[in-house]
Amino acid sequence: MSHDFDKLTHYAKSFSELTPEREALLIKVGEQIKPKLAGITEDFYQHLLTIPQASTFLGGRVESLKKTHTLWMEGLFSGPFDKTYTEHMYKVGDVHVRVNLPVEFMAGAMTLINQRLIGLIVETYGHDKEYCAQILVAINAVTGMSLLVMQQSYQAASLAEELEKFLKISGMSRVLFTNLANAYKDK
Amino acid sequence: MRSDMLVSVLSDLSGTSADIEAAGVISTDGLMMASVLPNSMDEDRVGAMSAAMLSLGDRTAQELVRGELEQVLIKGDSGYVLMTYAGKEAVLTVMAKPNAKLGLIFLDVKRAAGSIAELL
Repeated sequence: MSHDFDKLTHYAKSFSELTPEREALLIKVGEQIKPKLAGITEDFYQHLLTIPQASTFLGGRVESLKKTHTLWMEGLFSGPFDKTYTEHMYKVGDVHVRVNLPVEFMAGAMTLINQRLIGLIVETYGHDKEYCAQILVAINAVTGMSLLVMQQSYQAASLAEELEKFLKISGMSRVLFTNLANAYKDK
Repeated sequence: MRSDMLVSVLSDLSGTSADIEAAGVISTDGLMMASVLPNSMDEDRVGAMSAAMLSLGDRTAQELVRGELEQVLIKGDSGYVLMTYAGKEAVLTVMAKPNAKLGLIFLDVKRAAGSIAELL
């Protein structure tokens, strides 16, 4: 399936208000923040393991997931947040569908990550309230953008999966389904 | 040319009974090959819907252990829709009036389906 990732990037940014200034700020603070992200990842997974519904998806893979997760978090402070980033997040959403991760896990996980990042930012930049607030808004924007893209991917992948099941059950070929859909397009 | 011959079979079928209001030959992918339809009917929709119904009928017959599908019959208060395979790659759909003599229509449709299968 081909997607217009430029368009999706623009769409996600318009909702999350990830402006060029906020992108620049994330990259600026990245140098100071990135070394601390492994700790956040550690804490994040420790928490996930306490949620029974989440821990069943983690069995035996926690260490490798931690590495991937830290790399993604470093990306939040590295940029660029362009179509390549969007495409990557879209694939991440796809992978989550393939392992049958419930849709609410993404929003839940993003909440946990944001909470930990808020703590870290306040701890690091709390002495300058205005600057601290700007960084928090920028973080909220980039995680919001990432979540929106993953949810789009999730939605598309879930629909594709449902369609596949329907075609299998009904015995309809994909071509027949497409012809049926085309016949009912607005004329 | 083949299309003309298909239309001829459909016209003959329609001519056998005043109860038959419309008929079409459709690929199993849902594309109309030939039809004798009133202007009010959308060829694309009749085609795609017929093939989809027959496909679903096929699966239902298999799933509910009814053997090989012979036909799908839909009855509404304004009449019937009868769908049957015409060979392995086509569907013959016939629409008939509500008071149609089904026995005769089944027979005529079976014959027409055989002729269409030979043509294809």
